[in-house]
Formats: sequence, C-alpha cells, structure tokens
Amino acid sequence: MKRVPFDMGDIDIAWCPGCGNFKILDALKQALTELDLDPEKLVIVSGIGQAAKMPHYVRTNVFNGLHGRAIPAATGIKTANPELTVIAEGGDGDMYGEGGNHFLHAIRRNSDITNIVHNNMVYALTKGQASPTSTIGFTTPVQVGGVTEEPFNAIAVAIAQDASFVARAFSGDEDQTKDIIKEAIAHRGYALVDILQNCVSFNKVNTYQWFKENTYYLEDSHDPLNRIEAFKRATEEGKLPLGIFYRNPDKPCFEDTVPAYHTSRTPLFKRKVDVRKLQVLIDSKRSG
Amino acid sequence: MSKKVLMRGSQAIGEAAVRAGCRFYAGYPITPQNELTEYMAEAMDGLNDGTFIQAESELAAINMVIGASMAGARAMTSSSSPGISLKQEGISFLAAQELPAVIVNTMRGGPGLGNIAPSQSDYFQATRGGGHGDYRTIVLAPASGQELADLTRTAFEYADKYRSPVLILGDGMMGQMMEPIVFPEPIDVRTFSPKSWILDGAKGRPSRIILSLLLNPPEQEDLNWRLARKYEIITREIPMSESYMTSDANMIVIAYGTAARIAKGAVKRVRELGLKVGLLRPITLWPFPNRPLKELSRHVREFLVFEMNMGQMIDDVKLALEGRGNVHFYGRPGGIISTPDEIAKTINSIYHRQHLEED
Repeated sequence: MKRVPFDMGDIDIAWCPGCGNFKILDALKQALTELDLDPEKLVIVSGIGQAAKMPHYVRTNVFNGLHGRAIPAATGIKTANPELTVIAEGGDGDMYGEGGNHFLHAIRRNSDITNIVHNNMVYALTKGQASPTSTIGFTTPVQVGGVTEEPFNAIAVAIAQDASFVARAFSGDEDQTKDIIKEAIAHRGYALVDILQNCVSFNKVNTYQWFKENTYYLEDSHDPLNRIEAFKRATEEGKLPLGIFYRNPDKPCFEDTVPAYHTSRTPLFKRKVDVRKLQVLIDSKRSG
Repeated sequence: MSKKVLMRGSQAIGEAAVRAGCRFYAGYPITPQNELTEYMAEAMDGLNDGTFIQAESELAAINMVIGASMAGARAMTSSSSPGISLKQEGISFLAAQELPAVIVNTMRGGPGLGNIAPSQSDYFQATRGGGHGDYRTIVLAPASGQELADLTRTAFEYADKYRSPVLILGDGMMGQMMEPIVFPEPIDVRTFSPKSWILDGAKGRPSRIILSLLLNPPEQEDLNWRLARKYEIITREIPMSESYMTSDANMIVIAYGTAARIAKGAVKRVRELGLKVGLLRPITLWPFPNRPLKELSRHVREFLVFEMNMGQMIDDVKLALEGRGNVHFYGRPGGIISTPDEIAKTINSIYHRQHLEED
C-alpha cells in the first residue's frame, strides 16, 4: 500500500497480529486520502476499547475521551466548528452498550458526523466478555451459560429511526470498506458505518472465515432510498448483507438548524463578539 | 471449620459475598477487576437462587442493584475508578432511599481515564460521598486476602444493619494478590430476619413507597436529620483500625490498604535500626478512626501519612489530631507503587531531622 498523508510512520500498534482493526485502519486512511481531506481539517473522536485506540494511529487531530461518549464529544466539536470533518469511532461495546443512548439521539439530531463502529461482537480490551452484538449462546468466562439476550441490530435500529446514512462493511474486504467509508464521510448528516471485524483472541465463533461465509453484498438493484426495503434487508434471517442499506438525503443537518450558522458558516472561535448587539441583549434583560 | 484456601483477592471478595448471602450481582467490564465479575457470574450460575447480570453500562448496573435491594436481596456491584464515578448518582439514591448495597471499587490511577495500575486516588470520592447531596457512605479498606473476605461479610452486615450503601476500597494489587484465606461459614439466606421496608407485595397491608423526591422542604429536612442521626450512630459504633508497634513509638506512620502493607515493611526495617516507629492503619475510612490517633497524639509528635496519591487521607488525619503534632506526607500518585525501602528512607530522614533519636 502506498504511503498516505495520514500515516504515522513507524509506530507501535497495540493490537494482536491478525486483528481486523488493521484492515479498518488501512481502509480509513486510504478513504481519507482519496477524499483529498486535509489532516488539519479532520478530527477523529473515540472512547474506550480496542477500536477506540485507532485514532492514535492516524496522523490527524485526535480526541480520545470517555467510554461511550465519543458521539456527544464529536457533536460538540462539529457544532463549534462545522469546517471540520468529524469522525466518531469506536467498538460495539463503546457505541451500542455504554454509549447506546447517545447513538439513538445522534440519529435523531443528525449532526454531520461519521460514526464508524468496529463490530467484533465481543469486549476485547477487557479480555472477552459478551458485547451488545454477541450472538445468542456465545459463551465467555462471564456468560457462563451463553448469551441469552438478542444481539443489538444497529442497522435496523438506525433505519427504523430514519438515520440519514446506514451501511455495513466487513474488514476482510478492505476495498469495499474503504468505498463505504468514503461515501459515509461525503454524506451530509449522521452516517453509520458498522464494520464487522474478527477478533483473533476473544471471539472464536465469529472468525474471519465465519464472516466470509456469513456475509454478502446487497445487490446493485437494492435501492437505498427505499426505507421499507432497507429495513427488510436489515432484519432478514441468515447471512448478513453488506453495503449501503439506506440513505435519506432530505433530512436537515443539525448544524444547519443552529441559528449561529443561518447566515454564516464561520466557526465560533473565529468570530468577533458584536459588543453592541450584546449590550442590547443585556439591556433587554435588565429590570426597571 | 473451613480450611485455608489459596485465592486471589478479587475472587476472595466474590466468595465472601456469596457466603454472606449476596444473591444479586450486576456489573460492567472494566480492568482491573474483571476477575470479580467472572467469579460472581460463575458463582451465581451455580446457585439456584442467585442472579448475575452483565449490564449495558455502570449506570444500569447500579440501578439494577437499587432494584434488587428494594426487592429484598443482598446485592452487590463492582467496578474500578472511572466506572465508580458513573455509579455515583445511584449511590446517592441508595443513601437517600436508605437501601443496603455493597459497592467494590478496585481503584486505579486517575483522574480521567488514568491507567489501570494500583492507586488510592478515590479516597475523597469514597469518604466525602462522591455523589450529590448530604450523605455518607461506610468505607472499608482491607489490607490482606483474609481481610478482604472478612470485611466483605462485614460490609453486607453493615449495609443491612444501617440500611446504607457500603464501599469496599481496594486496588489492582490487592485484587491480584494470592494469599491463604479462611472463609466464614456460608449464611443460609432463609435465616435472615424479614425486612419490614422491602417491596414484596401489599396484599393485606398498606403499600410501601420508596422514593427520594421530597419536594416539601420539611420532609427533606426530616430525612436529612434521620440520616445525620444514623451517621452519628455509625461514627460511634464502627470505627476500626490496627495499631502496630505503637505503644513505645515516638513517630507514627498512617496508611491504609496496599499502602499500609508497604508501610508495615518500612516500619519493620526502621525498627531494626532502633527507630521507635509504629503504624496506625485505618480499616474504616469513613467513619475515620479518630480516637486512636487522638490518644497517640498525647505522646507522639511526628506523624507521617503515606498514600498512593498526592494527599487525601491526610485531611482526616489532621482533623483527628486537631492541630497536635507535625503531620508529614509522602505519596506516589499515578499507579506507582513505592517500596518499603523508599518509605523507610523517608521515615529515617524525618526521624533524624526532628531529633527523635534523642527522645
């Protein structure tokens, strides 16, 4: 792979050899390069987990914050400075478990952020507990008798809530993953990219081979503007479809609804205070 | 009689909890305390009357504990520093609703995400309440495998007796340490005296309501007075500490938990050099063992507080001493573990600087 501007060079990466995260990292860096994005104008925000380490391996602006809170932090960044491209990135436990509430409301708010979720169906950083996407029967030292809860179907939930961009990728297919990430970043509004990923250390069920055998791409004839059809595909039994399930290009972006940006897109920190306007406001609140 | 078993600290808490009649555990993965969660998962799976839930977040876990507690179960949750911060609103509610629960904090370096190394960075959070409102939590600080087991039993007993959340404060080192432990006999949960306040159906009696929303100020004041009276009783009844070589000492080291073990090693070393130094180890951090410190201050002038932080318990030591004596501090934050030699050197330098060898 040719060197891209987002490369960190020779660094230590704290993932196991064979981890699907490496492919996602490569796909992301390639996507950012092909989109001709300026590293200075990009922020990657993450929480906690193996996936959340990824921003450390990309040469750009990074905010690595609290477990589950990447989305609200990303929303703050985007709203304060809409000039930036903002990616909120993390794993299935981070985004759908601890941060599940934020995930739901990010869809409603439709801020222009790309939400990349590495989905390996296990908590890997804490060494192998079931995650919100673990399949029924998955056993771990904590899920002694196997998981009994229904796995979280993020794709179906996002479509049900009319998210403006919903896609699923598989880390084993770097090219398609890159293309999907590119589409997601180019999309204006909240974009979910759930990336299926193998964990070589803690998920011996959903392996690279398992994902290869249990995924397929949505046909070219699939119409991502058809929400009912997209929901049907998201909830169908059996193999997991990959690709762009759904788009709603007509949803207003959150930043566009913020009064501060009605007339100008200048980021807040670049603006001068209009002292006269402020004085009028203060005077209007004074009593007597 | 139970016999000695070799066990890791975090597992000892789990085994002791089950033997104390804990039948509900909810938790969320966080390092360095996943072994306790694993232990509870397996133990509850093996009991026909136990419930284990891996929650979707720490907040969910503490609220599940609230639910289990008001339904009458002995309930526990555990986490490590950042996860305990997330549980604070639930702990405040447990205190307000006077619900028993045991919360284990395996402390790590902070603030923020910090690291996963052993630390004592959460003393303030634990002893000052942590969450919002006018309340206290009982805080127990074990310093050995045996004490982890014993104090876990005590924690459940205090929680029920005082209808209060009880915190067990440990760290990753204590959780990983393997020591021989003699467990107390398991309690048969059917022998617990019935709780008169739990929500167990209102057939033939008026319904019970558990809440913490008291919009009428006099009602809130009543609750705060009631809690204050309870805290006064607790402060009188349960302070615990260990005194080690204090009777002839002219200098006292004060440390708890892992730090106290290190400090004990240091005291042994300086004793070999002829220095008359003793150790006071608080076992309850709230209520703080004021009395032994106050008594020591009659004939001891120099006090050294050693903590694995930048100085938190030192405030309580100063409050207990009420201005008597000189209070020195030595601490290493960020998950760095001092050696007994390091503490011995500090003791030595203070000892000679203050000319204690002439005493």
